[in-house]
Amino acid sequence: MSIKIRMRGKVKAGVAEVKALIKHPMESGIRMDKKTGKPYPAKFIETVEIAINGEKAVDAQWSGAVSANPYVAVKIKAESGDKISISLVDNTGAKGSAELKLK
Amino acid sequence: MKRRSFLKGTLATGATAVAVNAGLLTPSTVLADWNSAAFTSKTTDEALSGIFGSSTATDSADIKLKAPAIAENGAVTPIAVDATAIDGVESIAILASKNPMPLVCEYTFAPAALGFVSTRIKMGQTMNVLAVVKAGDKLLKAEQEVKVTIGGCGG
Repeated sequence: MSIKIRMRGKVKAGVAEVKALIKHPMESGIRMDKKTGKPYPAKFIETVEIAINGEKAVDAQWSGAVSANPYVAVKIKAESGDKISISLVDNTGAKGSAELKLK
Repeated sequence: MKRRSFLKGTLATGATAVAVNAGLLTPSTVLADWNSAAFTSKTTDEALSGIFGSSTATDSADIKLKAPAIAENGAVTPIAVDATAIDGVESIAILASKNPMPLVCEYTFAPAALGFVSTRIKMGQTMNVLAVVKAGDKLLKAEQEVKVTIGGCGG
């Protein structure tokens, strides 16, 4: 079960704004289940890596305080035709990745 | 593999579980490169020391922190940090000062990337959002208060 990612990017004057929308519950491990009085087990994305043409551009670490179904946008120096890829791992080891060719 | 980590996460009894729980709510499977010490810190100072090795950052007008003055729903507070006016931005951290664990996220940039990030974070109550930027050996920050009408931690 891989994590679903939708990614978009557009080049404007040598800079691409890359936007990604990730489908993930981002459960922090703090939120309490009122019925059992125990917290819901933590499930959140810990590391995100965005690369251009296979070279690392942005490296992110997240906590459970990033909103559910996270949205992230970064800016990368790029030309049209460049390949952007994103890969991420959550605290349970679930992985997700996506690739995009810039127009 | 998934089943194993699931079991680890749900076991709340036994000596090993007690040891795991000593770190309160630290996830049972911590990745090697995830900075668990900084992310589980209870104060912004501790969290900053954990990632940058120092908690003293100077205010900078070059960091554009875009956050709503009033967030109707704290669970999805849009935050944008634009530090493109600063040369050599190495990393940007976003912190929510009164969250149980203030450090929300940290981005490290290679030369190909600009010092910009836009995302959405959870905020439990009215508090300051802090953007800390590392450029060279300088630590810079920008702060803004966000009023939260509905908390973002649920439950």
